[in-house]
Amino acid sequence: MSEIIVQNLAKTYQVYQKKEGLMAAARGLFKREYREVHAVDGIDFSIEKGELVAFLGPNGAGKTTTLKLLSGLIYPTHGSASVLGHTPWLRENAYRRRFALVMGQKNQLWWDLPAQESFRLHKEIYAVESDEFDKRLASLTALLNTEKLLGQPVRELSLGERMRMELIAALLHGPEVLLLDEPTIGLDVVAQRTIQEFLKQYQQEQQFTVLLTSHYMKDVAALCKRVIIIAQGKILYDGSLSGIVDRFSRHKLVTVQFSDTQDMPVLERFGQVMRSEPPRIQIQVERTEVPKVLSTLLDQYVLEDVTVEDRPLEEVIAEMFATVTTDPHRPEDDTG
Amino acid sequence: MNFLERSTKRPSYWRVWLTFARNSLVREMSFRANFLITLATRLLWFCSMMIFFKVVFLKTRQINGWGEHEYFAFMATGMIINSLIETFFMANCTNFSEQIRTGNLDFALLKPIDAQFLISLEKIEWSVLSNLLFAGGLLFFSLHKLGIHFGITEMLAYLGFIGVGVSVFYSIMLVLTSASVWMGRNRGLHEFWFYVTVFSRYPRNIYQGSLGLPIYYLLSYCIPILLVVSIPAESLANRKVYDPHLAIVFICASLACLFISRLIFNYALTSYRSASS
Amino acid sequence: MITRIRVHWTILRISIEERLIYRADFALGTLLRFMPIVTTILLWQAIFNGVSPTSDSSKETTIDSYRFSDMVSYYLLVMLGRAFSSMPGLASGIAQDVRDGTIKKYLVQPIDLLGFLFWSRVAHKLIYYLVAAGPFAIMFILCHSFLPGWPDAGTLIGAIVALILGFIIGFLFEATVGLISFWFLEVSSLLFIVMMLNYFLSGHMFPLDLLPGPIRSVILFLPFQYLAYFPAKVLLGQLTQGELFQGLVVQVLWVIGLFFLARFLFSRGVRRYSAFGG
Repeated sequence: MSEIIVQNLAKTYQVYQKKEGLMAAARGLFKREYREVHAVDGIDFSIEKGELVAFLGPNGAGKTTTLKLLSGLIYPTHGSASVLGHTPWLRENAYRRRFALVMGQKNQLWWDLPAQESFRLHKEIYAVESDEFDKRLASLTALLNTEKLLGQPVRELSLGERMRMELIAALLHGPEVLLLDEPTIGLDVVAQRTIQEFLKQYQQEQQFTVLLTSHYMKDVAALCKRVIIIAQGKILYDGSLSGIVDRFSRHKLVTVQFSDTQDMPVLERFGQVMRSEPPRIQIQVERTEVPKVLSTLLDQYVLEDVTVEDRPLEEVIAEMFATVTTDPHRPEDDTG
Repeated sequence: MNFLERSTKRPSYWRVWLTFARNSLVREMSFRANFLITLATRLLWFCSMMIFFKVVFLKTRQINGWGEHEYFAFMATGMIINSLIETFFMANCTNFSEQIRTGNLDFALLKPIDAQFLISLEKIEWSVLSNLLFAGGLLFFSLHKLGIHFGITEMLAYLGFIGVGVSVFYSIMLVLTSASVWMGRNRGLHEFWFYVTVFSRYPRNIYQGSLGLPIYYLLSYCIPILLVVSIPAESLANRKVYDPHLAIVFICASLACLFISRLIFNYALTSYRSASS
Repeated sequence: MITRIRVHWTILRISIEERLIYRADFALGTLLRFMPIVTTILLWQAIFNGVSPTSDSSKETTIDSYRFSDMVSYYLLVMLGRAFSSMPGLASGIAQDVRDGTIKKYLVQPIDLLGFLFWSRVAHKLIYYLVAAGPFAIMFILCHSFLPGWPDAGTLIGAIVALILGFIIGFLFEATVGLISFWFLEVSSLLFIVMMLNYFLSGHMFPLDLLPGPIRSVILFLPFQYLAYFPAKVLLGQLTQGELFQGLVVQVLWVIGLFFLARFLFSRGVRRYSAFGG
């Protein structure tokens, strides 16, 4: 049986509508207007043990809400979910001992104390055996390179260091399912990579199931073979990373290199010119048109080199988000 | 150990609490100035109350059966109870609305441990406990002046009643804290708390007459705020006024308060979980 | 000039809107304000009962020239005074803003922090009076037998001026305390001390003239008495015209002094804050 099964899960919120102006505010004393927000709008998926799945989507897509539903933090409006055989929102202690949730930029460790002390508290709350605890702590600190930081008050750590500590705290009780909500948000590239590599390696060793949300492509590409794309509360795609381009990209990139004796021709009629660095030009051509364009180009010009490739994944996904959501989404800010 | 075995392990609540105690102490010791300031603030409050009542007792002989030294024993009892509440519970309750605001409450809900336990007891302010010394001193001084000799039974009963009083106050504080789930920005638990406990600040038998009696019945038999300090103080320092039947009401009401406050707290968490995004 | 007025009006308007949003909190807070007075009245009833009877049994029991009805009136009028001069959340709000950095918003924008806070408070008070006028009126009507008659025009005007000046003094004092957070981040304990001292020294806890001579003189020298004690005494009709006028003059002096202190602390504080960065 799959480890995580979600069926027709939905969560709708009532959001208070605040109106401008003094009279409206006074009216608000007596009557309030609400509108409905469908944060998660009937989603289905299942995840097997040991899988590393990414939940990708623009802001407000419903990624965090889905994770919170799976953690039992919120109740769904309708639908069902089963994680490790438990219904999350019943919040059974048995379930809570078996999974962990890490939220990017949110800190559960005691601020003024060294992380060490918070870890000890974790040990007591999760009732972890001492030797198991010591062993696991040692291996996690070694893998994440945080030995020297254990004794420092958490408030003195950098964001990246704190995130690493949060990860350790989450894994100390040996969860079978790890839920990560934007774990690398706000971190610099080096810190992001450290965490990605750690997760990859540790998951390999321990074989727990990981469900990770992000809007950074780098996280996804580094860790997950399977991607679920969610936007406006609905699942748009559930499959491999490479499949996305095949599914969603209507264009391919054709790069032609002319011999330098010729003048640069105008190629707009074949497709949008993406780059022009004589003697090379890259144009974006509709998939279905590619064979025709290629044969036309080969007929009309003397070409030294031709390449046909897919559009970059980030672009495809970004375009997909842009067309689905009506609000402008936050641009990808990878240094990529 | 396989997963099934692990998933049935329960935490030792005592050990978890000890870790809270230790962590809080370590944390507080790093803020030494704060320790002294806390000591000073509570003492100042108490001193101003003492000055006031010294002045009052210059002008009057007794307050409804409480002479000067009985009254100071009453005040000392109040101080003991308030110190206990502030040491063990207050910081957590004021923290609660902040946790809701930042969304950090979620972390508490993820842990395989009773949420009320975790939220009520996590942070302990040991520095406030220092007031107990002063209060204890005042209590023994007043008892001495009254010529009261007490035995083990009286002292145990007194401490027992203090425990009952603390649980009543805790229940009320829990309900006020739970309210922050619905009330958005909570102005500050301190202020609400002040208004609620103002009734316990004076002996229960000042609540007489057309104005006082309704309050007396409401706040003795329903939510026994009036009894919190009065019963323990009377049992030790003012036996003329002490009423054992009322003591039984006190104990029963406190159990009801603990039970009801837990229900309200759990309801608040459910509310939080429905609305949280 | 017009833009200044418009800015102030906008601030006022936005503050009122903000207040109305937290309606439950607001309503409850207003209701709770009336609780302590009940216990105080009952306490004093018990205190008066315990006074040794004088030889002249026909006369009403007095404590230092206060009859029981005078004492009740005193506390009611102190409530009125506090309705003007209490500034809940002002100091802690400033401290919080400094602590979490939102103070930067005021330093960067061409808005004067103190001016903004002042008009916010005016807005808050106006709403408060609107909501509290009903309960206050009920309270005073219920207790009208305790209260002395209406004061004459001169005293009434003097009282109104005293209340308004009390508002300003209360504001300036609390703002000053809040500004200390530019130097000491953790001011919550200090705020608590201030609140307690305020309670005692303003006459809110009990009439200051019950205190023995030397202590009384010292305390009356401080500005706190104008937050509660002084207006109450005016409305009780227990001050002569001369004392009333003198008190008002001293109030004005305190307003001026505290104003400059607040401004000074603010400019110094901003300088220090910018030096340390946010």
